[in-house]
Amino acid sequence: MTSPEYALPRATGFPVRRAAGLAILGGLVLFAFLPLLFGGPDPLKQSLRLSLQGPSTADWFGYDHLGRSMQARLSAALRLSLGLALLSVVTAMVPGVLLGVAAAWRGGIIDRFIGGISEAFLALPGLLLVLMLTAIVPDNPLMLYLGISLVLWVEYFRLTRALSKPLLLSPSVEASRLLGFGPWTILRRHLWPELAPMLVTVGSYGAASAIMAIAALGFVSVGVRPPTPELGAMMIELLPYYEEAPHALLQPILVIFLMVLALQLIGAKEKP
Amino acid sequence: MNTVLKVTDAAVFAGNKQLVEPTSFELAQGRVLTIVGETGSGKSLLAQAVAGLLPDGLSATGVANLNGTHFDLAKPASLRPLWGRTLGILPQEPWLALDPTMRALDQVAEGHRLVRHLERAAALDEARRDLKALGVEDAEGKLPDQLSGGMAQRVAFAAARAGGARIVIADEPTKGLDVARRDDVIALLMKEVEAGGSVLVITHDLALARQMGGEIAVVLQGQVIEKGETEAVLSNPSHDYTKRLIAADPANWTAMARQGLQSEPILVADALSKTRGGKLLFSGQNLKIHRGEIIGVSGPSGSGKSSLGDILLGLIKPDDGVIARLPGAARHRFQKIYQDPPSSFPARITIGQNLDDLIRLHGLDRRILSALLKRLRLSEDLLQRRPSDVSGGELQRLSIARAMLLEPVFLFADEPTSRLDPITQQETVDLLVELARERDCAILLTSHDKALIDKTCDKVIDIAAA
Repeated sequence: MTSPEYALPRATGFPVRRAAGLAILGGLVLFAFLPLLFGGPDPLKQSLRLSLQGPSTADWFGYDHLGRSMQARLSAALRLSLGLALLSVVTAMVPGVLLGVAAAWRGGIIDRFIGGISEAFLALPGLLLVLMLTAIVPDNPLMLYLGISLVLWVEYFRLTRALSKPLLLSPSVEASRLLGFGPWTILRRHLWPELAPMLVTVGSYGAASAIMAIAALGFVSVGVRPPTPELGAMMIELLPYYEEAPHALLQPILVIFLMVLALQLIGAKEKP
Repeated sequence: MNTVLKVTDAAVFAGNKQLVEPTSFELAQGRVLTIVGETGSGKSLLAQAVAGLLPDGLSATGVANLNGTHFDLAKPASLRPLWGRTLGILPQEPWLALDPTMRALDQVAEGHRLVRHLERAAALDEARRDLKALGVEDAEGKLPDQLSGGMAQRVAFAAARAGGARIVIADEPTKGLDVARRDDVIALLMKEVEAGGSVLVITHDLALARQMGGEIAVVLQGQVIEKGETEAVLSNPSHDYTKRLIAADPANWTAMARQGLQSEPILVADALSKTRGGKLLFSGQNLKIHRGEIIGVSGPSGSGKSSLGDILLGLIKPDDGVIARLPGAARHRFQKIYQDPPSSFPARITIGQNLDDLIRLHGLDRRILSALLKRLRLSEDLLQRRPSDVSGGELQRLSIARAMLLEPVFLFADEPTSRLDPITQQETVDLLVELARERDCAILLTSHDKALIDKTCDKVIDIAAA
């Protein structure tokens, strides 16, 4: 008989991927917000003398075509992207979840009514909605925020409804009702523990797509207008100089890549 | 006699922890081997190890000898070529095992075509012959959702062994089935045996073992404690555990003392009727339940036993009829015990959390819970766990404790023990009845097992009597 190879018990505890994602995100947040605490160069201050200067030991990030500090611009752009993404996700999550629970709970006409509205939003390409809103009121981050939230809430609504419906019909909820528990307990003890892990996943994917949307709009010069530092806008500004200063163009690309990677890692489920 | 499957020292491990001790058994051609044991005794793991189907995280050791070829159970992948060709598995949930978008004939023919490499026409012919042999030729052109449970089971069985498998492993083939469906499954397996196939049955149902005949192996805590001819072992058990197992069969229970109570009625139902899915379940059903009375409802699944109880609890509305409850009894004093204990607790919080919520909600005394747990022989440590980490029997007793906390006047116990093994079943029913008697709580008990109802209840009612 061959010696048995014992299967290792599956790793429990905090998943490695999620930890890696949180570490990257933490680094980006520090990079974005530390200048607010310690001060730093002004992201709008031009100094043509430094135009397209490469990274050096004194300044790791170099300068853009107008001689503005890349480090200052990147951290300002990160603050905008992260802040806007976080705000949009929270704004989409809260009503999405509440409406989803309401639809699953009440069913019937309420379910169909909210479901109909969500499908109307779903029928509209997400970016188009944001484009329309930003076209109505240009150069206003508020419109970006509003548009992205309007696109994102549908997913929370649909997932919450789909998860809650079978739960609310399950024997365990029936038992709780028989035992005299009210809606609050059912929400807190039955629904929330099932919904929370889903919300972390969908929330981080949602934040990633919000960041991509903001950058994409900036890239086509629809979103935030210059001189406000924004990652997409920075890319399009620096594109003409890719030969002289590839480092400058690569920086916003790398930042977006890291940010989306971090959020995807946080959202990803550990595969068995 | 020709041995087709010989298993030597099969053991199952989770990491370094041994779940099943090295076990050996033999299965002869045209014979049945039944492995019986309580839930959690490792009998299912043993079958899964032999089939190479252990879930992730578990590993096996030992050797299986199939028709003269040795296979190492530690390498489940080496058993894979046998699936369908030599080893067939009777699916527990036939509807889940069938492809919902494929017609019955095509599903069966697929095995002939892809596993045995027959031409399409020949495969269809073979499939037709299989279905005919099992008496389900009408099922040919039907989709799984158009099949009845018994038909689906036979189609799934035909599909499972289309590749030529002559050794069939059936894990709990009769779990949760009513008598008619059970007999169907037994007939199906016996047919296979008569045709020269071999069947390995894993069950906790002794009646099934008795009907299947052949040989039996009794497993206790991962160890075979007794084996031999089924007839001989069951009529003359030598091990203490086997004796207890036999005594726990509801047919062998001593009938509980009937009580002819004529106290005040707590629930009076008048002329109830209910239709479900276009089928009339019952009409003109009258029922009067007195304090402390234990009423049994027996009947095949789908006959409306659960619907009747749910109507009495106000969980579903009757099409017709009225229910009067004891005036002054709070709503929460009408409780229910569910068939599947894990699904009656919130899945993601500990049981203690759930019970604490309940105690806080109704302003109860925590000491009542402790007393109840002691009474039900439950350790307080169980409260720290989630429902999925507690055995079915313990969880069902916990749900009885939960219901009893509220001092119910009426308890609807909906097949409370159909997922439990006989010893646990007897223990659970005994405790349930005992507690109800003490507290003067009425019980409506449903079960597909007529013996259980007859031995336990004061009164048996018949539904579906229009």
